[in-house]
Amino acid sequence: MATLSLRHAPRPGTPAELDPLLVWPALGLLMLGLVMVYSASIATAEGSAFTGHQPGFYLVRHGIFLVIGLVLAVVAFQIPLRFWQQMAPLLFLGGVMLLVAVLVPHVGRTVNGATRWLPLGPINLQPSELMKLFAVLYAADYTVRKLGDMGSLRRGFVPMAAVMVVVGVLLLREPDFGAFVVIVAISMGILFLGGIAGRLFVGLVMVLAAAFAVLVITSPYRLERMLNFMDPWADPLGKGYQLSHALIAFGRGEWFGVGLGASVEKLFYLPEAHTDFLLAVIAEELGFAGVALVVVLFGLLVQRAFALGRQALALDRVFAALVAQGIGIWFGFQSFINMGVNMGMLPTKGLTLPLMSFGGSGIVANCIALAILFRVDYENRQLMRGVSS
Amino acid sequence: MKLSHSPLLAQNLPAGRSRFMLFLLMAGFAALLVRSLYLQGVNTDFLQQKGESRYSRVLELSATRGRVVDRNGDVLAVSTPVKSVWALPEDARLTPAQAREAARVLEMDVRELNRRLGSEKDFVFVKRQVAPEVADRVAALGLPGIHLQKEYRRYYPAGDVTAHVLGFTGVDDKGQEGIELALEPILAGKPGSRRVIRDRRGQIVEDVESIKAPQDGRDTVLAIDAKVQYLAYAQLRQAVSDHRAKAGAVVVLDAKTGEVLALVNLPTYNPNNREKLSGAQLRNRVFTDTFEPGSTFKPFTAALALEKGKVRFDTPVQTAPGRLSIGSATIHDAHPHGVLTVAQVIQKSSNVGAAKLALSMTPDEMWQMFDSLGFGSPLRLGFPGEVGGRLRPAKSWRPIEQATMSYGHGISVTLMQLARGYMAFARDGDLLPLSLTRLDAPPPAGKPVFSAQTAREVRAMLEMAVQPGGTAPKAQIPGYRVAGKTGTAHKLDGGSYADKYVASFVGFAPASDPRLIVAVMIDEPSAGKYYGGEVAAPVFAQVMGGALRSLGVAPDAPLRPLLVARNEPPAKEEM
Repeated sequence: MATLSLRHAPRPGTPAELDPLLVWPALGLLMLGLVMVYSASIATAEGSAFTGHQPGFYLVRHGIFLVIGLVLAVVAFQIPLRFWQQMAPLLFLGGVMLLVAVLVPHVGRTVNGATRWLPLGPINLQPSELMKLFAVLYAADYTVRKLGDMGSLRRGFVPMAAVMVVVGVLLLREPDFGAFVVIVAISMGILFLGGIAGRLFVGLVMVLAAAFAVLVITSPYRLERMLNFMDPWADPLGKGYQLSHALIAFGRGEWFGVGLGASVEKLFYLPEAHTDFLLAVIAEELGFAGVALVVVLFGLLVQRAFALGRQALALDRVFAALVAQGIGIWFGFQSFINMGVNMGMLPTKGLTLPLMSFGGSGIVANCIALAILFRVDYENRQLMRGVSS
Repeated sequence: MKLSHSPLLAQNLPAGRSRFMLFLLMAGFAALLVRSLYLQGVNTDFLQQKGESRYSRVLELSATRGRVVDRNGDVLAVSTPVKSVWALPEDARLTPAQAREAARVLEMDVRELNRRLGSEKDFVFVKRQVAPEVADRVAALGLPGIHLQKEYRRYYPAGDVTAHVLGFTGVDDKGQEGIELALEPILAGKPGSRRVIRDRRGQIVEDVESIKAPQDGRDTVLAIDAKVQYLAYAQLRQAVSDHRAKAGAVVVLDAKTGEVLALVNLPTYNPNNREKLSGAQLRNRVFTDTFEPGSTFKPFTAALALEKGKVRFDTPVQTAPGRLSIGSATIHDAHPHGVLTVAQVIQKSSNVGAAKLALSMTPDEMWQMFDSLGFGSPLRLGFPGEVGGRLRPAKSWRPIEQATMSYGHGISVTLMQLARGYMAFARDGDLLPLSLTRLDAPPPAGKPVFSAQTAREVRAMLEMAVQPGGTAPKAQIPGYRVAGKTGTAHKLDGGSYADKYVASFVGFAPASDPRLIVAVMIDEPSAGKYYGGEVAAPVFAQVMGGALRSLGVAPDAPLRPLLVARNEPPAKEEM
């Protein structure tokens, strides 16, 4: 039956088979991201000796990574979910090895006090970005394997918690607090969707909250970051510098922005304008309209990921269901945190805007995640056709 | 058509959890939209004002400083456009060859250049105020991170001749000395403004408001006559050099208007190149240095005695035996003269005679006169460091002090005060305020100090002083009748009178209708001669003669050779 249907089905990868409700938000975010990375970085790239004063320094690199990401996405689209599921523990282990490698002296590369990169010839690999994808796959596979144990603390929850502790230790040594928060959110989100016992989950959330509180209190710089986002105007030229400039960018943008390319904040005032604070430049240049567009596109993307997940579940494809929703949680949670940080709703942490911010590993990992979403959709439809035909 | 659900799955993967999770994320996005709406639609004024305070700046558009010209329109000070070379050290990565080339063009040490470019700052000046040609050559080098900025530099065509009159401006184009400081509000003009947004590195991104044009400073016409100024400078320089004097000063006043036609100090400096400038060069002695005027003060004593009716022009005064004891102190005449008329007391410059005139008056009367002549208080012409000199209250005068003050000791004045004091004799007893700028309206009414009668009589006495038998025949000028008085004062050095002198001469001409007042002061002449009649009087004659001819003042004496003066030895001057 399945072989029959495959014969009639179009080959994977043809545009007609890609879900338009997923394609357009994803393409929109990727393209807007490319334009805005260029706009946000053009002045700093031209003014910096590091880039050799090339205005297009970041544009070219972002473009190259997008191409790499899209090529890898095409490849990833060919891979059945089944294969991902089989590989999930291995990939996750590989990711952990990379995180360990980053911490080996003289192997990892340090930028601005954070050791997050592995130099691989012309590019730098950021394992924590790949780790988010691997966490989705691993947590989904874990949950499928332990479906029967979801009510048990010892068998259902503790193994996952132990894995998270290991990953957490590695990430916080870099430090990359943001990636840790996202990975924890993905894993716990998938466990939650996987039906972990309600009381367990509530207990878990409380333990995690306590753990975060301890982290924050024991590391003074995290506490400072925690507190200064509430009133950036108390020390606008010191601790509140970055956030106050981001907020000014929002205020300057008003409804329709000062116009593409016309941001003043990106002119050396706002640090990390092309990475963590890309949304602030969007807000200044494109106004509320631009911000709303980004939020709505992310909303559509996340909604679609969850819809695909529920569809997969209806088809009894638990792994695919959890992967799709896990990617939805990833994109949704990380974009929410990043945008919240930009608007001063959340404490500043180093998280980029998925699909949009500059950053090679992040873009490539996001593209592969998108491809897996498309694959879930594709396999869903194959199954439905197979059943109906 | 649906796949059958296992009960386990249905229990473990509740669709409600998925919807709840999605709801949470969508609620987060909704919160973002609300927050964005608040920031971009409501709180914009506050945020934009915060932004303005970060990167909007009011740039001054510098007004061109007004020119300073002399009374005939000759330019004495003018602002010329120059360029300043500045750099962003982060970008200014020069090769050693580039650095050497830049240093050569800028005429600076290559190590100094590298030191500045190696600075930690965001912005440094490499060299300020270079000539436009130099700036063009720097621009032609096309060096990274090196930029040019337009500025103005003040240029003084007459250089050191007018240095003390004009003073100078600082590198920020603000007056720091002399006229430049005194007339700062007029010369400076009002800078315009331009409100701009700048990026964090200071580059202008856009104009926010319309440009407010600068109001250029107004040109100022000084009372100074460049020709007279140059003449005074040349003569003073010659005299200071001939007599190996420490310093000197000349002031030329217009007796009819109170205008200052010339003001010269030595040592001086070149205001166009003020490196290695010493305090001595900078001193505007005419206003800031006081000295004991010595015998140039005697005419004031005589005038007061005449004014108060104590004596007449020809009242005899016994000066024999050339000494006068007052209390424990004794006043000396260097050469005893016997009985002199009041006029002769001035002509021969007798200390004893002047002291006797003084003692016929009360200290209060003398103090009143000195005060109304302007001694003891600054002239307030706006020059920095103007001093008033020393005139103690009359109550504290002892008789010996009253006596010495009559011939200019125990009191100190500036040369400008002294010259102005003589205006009372050059005019008919009244004083005009001094003016550094050309008066285009008739001068204000003078302030009377003496009666016209007294002034005329003292003028006659002062004419006698430069004639044969007086102390300063060398002050004579062919073609003009001259009136004046020498002064030779011992300098006070650490409280006692040392073997150092200030030679001075103050006089006016033509004596029949005085037009100019010239005061000359030579500090510490040390080439042998030190009498005012020998050292200062010739300078007076040269300056006065040249100035009168230059101004086209009609001669009031027949031209004849001044043989008389040479044949008869001049009267010895008293200290």
